[in-house]
Amino acid sequence: MSRTIHGRRNRTIDRASKILGRVLVTCAVIFLLAPALFIALLSFSNDRRVSFPPQSWGLDRYIAVFTSGKWGAPTLMSLEIGAWVAFGSLLVALPLVFALKRSVMPGRGLLEATAIAPLVIPISAYAVGLYAVFAQLDLLGEKFGIILAHTVHALPMVVIVLSTSLDQIRPDLELSAMTMGANRLKAWTSITLRLLVPAIAAAMLFGFISSFDEAVFITFLGGVGLVTLPKYIFDSVQYGVDPAITAMATILMITTAGIMLLGSALRKDIK
Amino acid sequence: MTHVDSHPQRLKVGRSGPWSAALPMLPAVFMVAPLVIVALLFIVYPLVKLGIDSFTGGSGGFSNYSAVFQSAAIRNSLVSTLLMSAVVTVLCLLLGGSLAWSLSKPGNKILKTLLWTAVLLPFWMGVVVKTYAWAVLLANNGLINSFFMRIGLIDEPMTLLYTPMAVVLGMTYTMLPYAVLAMYPTMAGFDKELLNSASVLGSSNTGAMYRVWLPLVRPGLVAGGAIVFAISIGFYITPVLLGGAQTPFMATVIGDDIFAYFNYPRAAASSVILLVIALTVLIATLKTVGVKALKGGLEK
Repeated sequence: MSRTIHGRRNRTIDRASKILGRVLVTCAVIFLLAPALFIALLSFSNDRRVSFPPQSWGLDRYIAVFTSGKWGAPTLMSLEIGAWVAFGSLLVALPLVFALKRSVMPGRGLLEATAIAPLVIPISAYAVGLYAVFAQLDLLGEKFGIILAHTVHALPMVVIVLSTSLDQIRPDLELSAMTMGANRLKAWTSITLRLLVPAIAAAMLFGFISSFDEAVFITFLGGVGLVTLPKYIFDSVQYGVDPAITAMATILMITTAGIMLLGSALRKDIK
Repeated sequence: MTHVDSHPQRLKVGRSGPWSAALPMLPAVFMVAPLVIVALLFIVYPLVKLGIDSFTGGSGGFSNYSAVFQSAAIRNSLVSTLLMSAVVTVLCLLLGGSLAWSLSKPGNKILKTLLWTAVLLPFWMGVVVKTYAWAVLLANNGLINSFFMRIGLIDEPMTLLYTPMAVVLGMTYTMLPYAVLAMYPTMAGFDKELLNSASVLGSSNTGAMYRVWLPLVRPGLVAGGAIVFAISIGFYITPVLLGGAQTPFMATVIGDDIFAYFNYPRAAASSVILLVIALTVLIATLKTVGVKALKGGLEK
């Protein structure tokens, strides 16, 4: 008797916790989707002010982005810095992961942890530290300084992509090549690096995006002269509202999504 | 790699002595040199300099720290930064945990694609774009206020923007994907058969989740929570844009000290406090769940 009651109570609790789980997941999905969809929707409004629901629809905001002449310079600045960061972070990360995975030198764990550390350093504190160092090195407001800061910022992601991909390439292939007379460099360049090409492309895309979206370091270290796209949007949102931002945000969202999806696809391309 | 380590294949090549499959020390050192230089100059030195400057700048000694703790505004900011980050962490564990668990279970393919898309969506927006989206959503004429006014629940728009709640929502939005990806490996690694065994042995599903599932996924939850918390206390863009001047947050305090009051030494002291808190949380996590769980939480 008491067993059945117990069983029935258990079933009620089970049903309640199952519903609770569903509710949490649904809430999370709505929470994640709403802002992006909302911005994309508003970007097609022709109202003079950003408000909901829009009174008129059209492409005015997109036309404004391309004709106002305000967005070109920040976009070019972001593209240029992002491209340098993609190369710079690869230059540091690629030799590093090869040394970490193919040598038995001591301190490998520490080196890898150091490369990933910028991911968990509270960024506003880190930016203050870089601000002080850049002031000393006369790098404040310099494009080169931003490229350096963004390179460090991109390193964790680039190192993670390259090292998880290199893990999937068996060293036996290189070893076979070396037993057949290839030296290590030849074995690496003609086998491992070639297999790693998709991952290298993915790493560069992620490095680029990390810089392209970065807004804290540019605020602390960029001075007044260097204006990247995120900085430009940050300033416009802080000191007034330009409705064209909704269109720019939508364009950025779609571009970033495309690049990230391409990066992820390339990363999975390793056999 | 383990292959290379565990079976160092030695072959005799000419007179050059025993040959090892592993990359020799000298080239390895050259190859890690770029990272070592970059890390020493732009990771280690900035953090060390913050520490030094916080004690030598201004009147020196502990004066900058006492300036931080004597200012009621900064004290409030520190407390509310920690509180808001804690709320963000709890929300991320709750929502992210449910998401990661749903994603790890076998199920409908279309539903799963939708879930993954939702989880990755915030990654596809830069932090400024995300924050801007929330600002528009929470504005007086934004989606939420219009919706509640339309259905007649409220007559006047509620103040949602420039409140601690806005900051918490914006930060949770940024951190939720990190939390999901940090917890997903643990959830996917959990053997679902264990739940069946528990129910065969007479446990309710809820009981099984509580007594079997929770203890086994706890390292993943702890690591995910620690990472979310450490990153959250350093947020800059979100608190500035969504919190405004009236919501106390350490980022705003630090930014004002640098750009408005030109009080770098006090900003350095505030930064060191944030760094020490983050470091303490991460080290405590390392001690409880080990380096593997923490590393797994970061390498998505």
